[in-house]
Amino acid sequence: MYREAEEGAIQSDAYIDALLSGHARLPVALPVAQHAPAPSVRHVIRVLDRGMPRFHPSFLFEERLAEQLRALAEQGNQGSPAVLIERRVVIGGAIASGVSLAGAAMWAWRHRPRAEAGQD
Amino acid sequence: MLRREKDRASVLVNVDADRSAVEAARRDPRAFEALYRKYVAQVYNFALYELRDPHAAEDLTAQVFLRALAGLRHFREQAEPPHSSFRVWLFQIARNALSNERRRSRRHPDAPLDAALELSAADDVPATAAQRDELRAALRAIDRLPADRRRALVLRFVDELDAREIGQVLGRSEGATRVLIHRSLQAVARQLGRNRGVDDTERTAERRRAAN
Repeated sequence: MYREAEEGAIQSDAYIDALLSGHARLPVALPVAQHAPAPSVRHVIRVLDRGMPRFHPSFLFEERLAEQLRALAEQGNQGSPAVLIERRVVIGGAIASGVSLAGAAMWAWRHRPRAEAGQD
Repeated sequence: MLRREKDRASVLVNVDADRSAVEAARRDPRAFEALYRKYVAQVYNFALYELRDPHAAEDLTAQVFLRALAGLRHFREQAEPPHSSFRVWLFQIARNALSNERRRSRRHPDAPLDAALELSAADDVPATAAQRDELRAALRAIDRLPADRRRALVLRFVDELDAREIGQVLGRSEGATRVLIHRSLQAVARQLGRNRGVDDTERTAERRRAAN
């Protein structure tokens, strides 16, 4: 059963390869009928090969990310980019925890018992 | 003699096409831009087919390339089995980022694949209405496939990876990947056949109504 599927799979794979090589303008040699996959599978392969849309990210996004990567690479020339990313995370984390500690302190001060506030 | 030549040929076939660009980027990270420009659309497509939202796909694409640049020194090309190339490594990062994203947001995309890809807007390929309907039906069938099968078809037809590369991305052998793709195609074919059957029945009923 699996061997049968494997044979069919090899035929499908060769058929897809032949169609995809057409995209690269290479000579297309489709497998002869006896080695080709079943007509229904062949049909699906053609539908997907012809129709599955390919997209490109927006120009703005591509350029923005390129700039980010360039900046990271520039910094990476002075040290490993991995270290820089880790350092940014650590610094970011420290700032975030500092801010939340200050927030908690502020909340505690505002909600302190009135009597205690009167003593001040 | 023949065997030695065969071995040498297989090693040559498995040499990473991006080797020199990767080495250049290792020496000078600014050279990474060439690799980025080459693969940004492929990674974006993979993310878009999975997340079905252009902004989410852009975020994931950014994550992948930032991680790749940061981890470039950990990447090791392998000419011997299991072969590995820069492109495969990049898609492995994308797959992991996708899994993390899924775990984090704990929800799967609601938009159906055919609607999310706005097929009517993708008019770069001149297609008849019938062809577009058929593609829409095929995409709906792909949508119903388990994640690995769906990803294998996207990697094969949209990103044009071969079975060996897809196997490495999905963590399967080349043979198992070929079978996975074949079975996915059979499932889509069955669904299209079923749809065609429904269409034929509707058309016959219409014809009968018109005759009466």
